[in-house]
Amino acid sequence: MATIKEIRDRINSVNDTRKITNAMYLISSTKLRRAKKMLTDTEPFFFSTQAMISRLVRHLPDGVDNIFLETRLEIPEDERRRGYIIFTDDKGLAGSYNHNVLKLAEEKIAVDKGDWKLFVIGEVGRFHFLSKNMDIEESFMFTSQNPTLHRARKIAAEILDYYYSRKLDEFYIIYTTVQGTKIDTKFEKLLPLEIITDIKREKPMTGTMLEEFLMEPSPSAILDNIVPNYVTGFIYGALVEAFCSVQSARMMAMDSANKNAEKMIADLQRTYNRQRQAMITQEITEVVSGAKALKNAKKAKERNKDKQKTRNYS
Amino acid sequence: MNGNKVMTFGLRVISVNGIFYDDRAEEIILPCADGELAVLANHEEMILALSDGVIKIKKPGGEWLYGVVSLGSVQVANNRCIVLVNTVEKPEDIDKQRAREAYEFAMEHLQQKQSIKEFKKSQAGLARALTRLKAASKYVD
Repeated sequence: MATIKEIRDRINSVNDTRKITNAMYLISSTKLRRAKKMLTDTEPFFFSTQAMISRLVRHLPDGVDNIFLETRLEIPEDERRRGYIIFTDDKGLAGSYNHNVLKLAEEKIAVDKGDWKLFVIGEVGRFHFLSKNMDIEESFMFTSQNPTLHRARKIAAEILDYYYSRKLDEFYIIYTTVQGTKIDTKFEKLLPLEIITDIKREKPMTGTMLEEFLMEPSPSAILDNIVPNYVTGFIYGALVEAFCSVQSARMMAMDSANKNAEKMIADLQRTYNRQRQAMITQEITEVVSGAKALKNAKKAKERNKDKQKTRNYS
Repeated sequence: MNGNKVMTFGLRVISVNGIFYDDRAEEIILPCADGELAVLANHEEMILALSDGVIKIKKPGGEWLYGVVSLGSVQVANNRCIVLVNTVEKPEDIDKQRAREAYEFAMEHLQQKQSIKEFKKSQAGLARALTRLKAASKYVD
């Protein structure tokens, strides 16, 4: 059994750790609140842009040529070059958050044939793929802390550059969403736009009259304008969602860490008390038995003296 | 229509970080690649591309509201107008100091040798900084 000092030290150390996890819990909860607000603010933009793109594509006159209208379905599966944008966090201590994202990414990469390249946001993911020697874009260095529109714009520019120059054919995005307390890892196609591909696939019914739209300066120019905007919005949304999720995951992880610490402290306190009690009992026994021995010794001495006295008188 | 009541249309100005305007409006002036364009009630259906600049909204009653926007698009249909932009700010909210710094930063970058991608990025940055700076000095006081 551990000595009383060792237990005391252990209790102190658990207490200190609990203070840290508790602080992390509080920090995450305030960050989460702020991120939630950002998320609700960006939602209207997202849905209206989607609606506008689908309206635009449905009303496009014939013969419009634009890079965003390509479905790239004609490229055979195993020759398509894919880009994966993976959202991880810069730090751990968030439960299974990073692990889930990386697992899903690896599963998808293993299934998809053809060439691929990884665009990783966040330190954890970058280290993970670097240590596995996978092909990641080296210059793509972005943090997942405090999502800003500025960063989303930079990321979008980077990705669109690959798309324009046709170095990659498709882009997929792997991020995490949170609904209430349920955290979901998602895999979505970013480019070519799914909405455009869907509309192109279902051939327009002949004979239906669609209202005419005046398009200024030209349909292609509008597409060039709205699609990058949409991509920026999408990436901003994903950044914010991922940030929300990681804070929420960290909150939960820290909450259970706090609970575990409390349980540990209670257990340790009990052993500590038991040890202390045992020590006190032992001390009392020692004192009592010591006193008794002394008393016995004294008695024996006195008896001896008495005996001597009587011997002297006689 | 009767002269004293101006017709209005539904207007929504939405940016990535929130809804800027969601109400009836009498008129909106939009910055386009080839100059400004005003939209009144019952405008023909159209879809437009916006460039960096200032949108001017005339609220019912004649009051004007300004917003500095970056790239976006506009859709007009059924007497409803939806403006979708990356960012929109009121001129009085613009931090002039920061806009000037961004302007100088972009200028400096443009003068260095760089790839086409970087050039486009700094060019876009410069245009954004310039419109913000201009709007901030023009519409505030």
